[in-house]
Amino acid sequence: MAQFVMLLPHSPERYASIPEADFMDLMKDYIGWVEDMTAKGIMAGGEKLLDEGGKVLTSTGETIEVHDGPFAELAEVLGGYMIINAEDYDQAVAIAKTCPHLVHNSKIILRQIDQEHA
Amino acid sequence: MTATHLIEQIVRRERGRLIASLVARLGATNVDLVEDVAQDAIVSALSSWPYKGVPDHPAAWLRKVAYNRAIDRLRRSVKHDVFEEDNLPTPSTSDHVISPTLGDPELDLMILCCDPALSPMDQLALTLKTVSGFTARDTAHVFLIPENTLAQRLARAKRTLRKNAGQLGSAPTRFEVHTRQPILLKTIYLMFASGYAPQHGDRLIQHDICVEALRLCEALTANKLTNTPETQALMALLLFQLSRFKARLNQSGKLVLLEDQDRNLWDEDCIQRAVEHLQHAKEAKTLSRYHIEAAIASCHALAPDWNGTDWRSIISLYQALSDLAPSPIILVNMAVAYAMDGQLDKASALLDQLETEKTLKTHAPFALAKAKVAELNGDLESAKRHYKAATTITTSQATSDFINDRLSALESL
Repeated sequence: MAQFVMLLPHSPERYASIPEADFMDLMKDYIGWVEDMTAKGIMAGGEKLLDEGGKVLTSTGETIEVHDGPFAELAEVLGGYMIINAEDYDQAVAIAKTCPHLVHNSKIILRQIDQEHA
Repeated sequence: MTATHLIEQIVRRERGRLIASLVARLGATNVDLVEDVAQDAIVSALSSWPYKGVPDHPAAWLRKVAYNRAIDRLRRSVKHDVFEEDNLPTPSTSDHVISPTLGDPELDLMILCCDPALSPMDQLALTLKTVSGFTARDTAHVFLIPENTLAQRLARAKRTLRKNAGQLGSAPTRFEVHTRQPILLKTIYLMFASGYAPQHGDRLIQHDICVEALRLCEALTANKLTNTPETQALMALLLFQLSRFKARLNQSGKLVLLEDQDRNLWDEDCIQRAVEHLQHAKEAKTLSRYHIEAAIASCHALAPDWNGTDWRSIISLYQALSDLAPSPIILVNMAVAYAMDGQLDKASALLDQLETEKTLKTHAPFALAKAKVAELNGDLESAKRHYKAATTITTSQATSDFINDRLSALESL
């Protein structure tokens, strides 16, 4: 069984001024899905990333520059990730398509974890 | 129970606990701040669950994380020596979703919400929202009012509380507990009634409200100061009513009258517990309305079937209730009991006598009682007329569905 990472980006202001009741409803959608995937043995893990945009380290060749996020030029921020079990990309894509993230946001990035060299 | 419903219950409970423990620290004047902070902490704690799923012990996890976040936020927003490291209470790690006993801070918070300066509706709304953690949306739904109207009422109620907070410290005195106890019981009674009424929306939420009323009442029985015979009687009453919760609506959500309910659906354990509490309630020097209402409920719960119900006892209990707290609505119920006992003349006479009562003009059960008595008298035309009148009064879909069913049954005779 292969494993895949689902990266879940959203636009930077997505949750900034959403009414709380709506936010709770939205979370319930996600939690319901995650619970469902867990029950089916598909969900292998996941974490939410903190909302403050993180840091970017850039090497200039001589020094390393460290910049605080969020970065205005970014159209999206990474909200978190999930790890799922699937046979192959076809199955992983089919699973990802059912994720409520594609209802409440617009993009999922799917990458297979390299287990052969683990 | 679905995972999301479970989460709603946990969130409600933990929000209530969090608010109670923070109000106990910061005092009643900070109720607004505490509510905001608690809500914020709960939402922020919860917001990782969409990615990682629900933790193994969700209630315990949420309690710890939300508590720590709330303390962090408060440290940043208020300078207050109660937040010195040594003074911080350690959160309990018991993970009961619905704990059978209230922690004392929760009881204190409820006593605070049941301020005599507030109207009964405001006392109930505040308790539902602050102690029991129901959302503004659900609370507004219970009262059939728009959410912003509720928000305004709550804001006004909290201003009153802040003004009075000087008189009531964070730990109420024995005397204050004593004087507010009748209000506590009334609030629990009304809370249960609002969850039990057929017209108020979401059935899961309604059931939760009834169970919450029971939990608060149980908490009062667990506390020496508040465990009085009245509390025991109320406990019995709530359990008797709750035992019929499932049987009261059919699968399509239609109201099923007591006489038509499938008695196998009644919860035997619930009834058993109710009987025990009613035993404890007997130590009272004077009978409260909860005693009498519980006794009436027990007549129904212990009857083998509708016809085998002890109507004579029910009639005399309604008489006692009416003497204690006169109300035309009680007399309507008494008329139905007379009719069921075969005393149709007395039933008709009582209903005729009630015709002049203004409050009954918009009381659907009054029209239904008249229809029922007319039906038993064999006067089908009047029965139909009264059923039709009832449909124009009721605001409840379940009730009007029920009436329409009765009407078409009568039409086909």
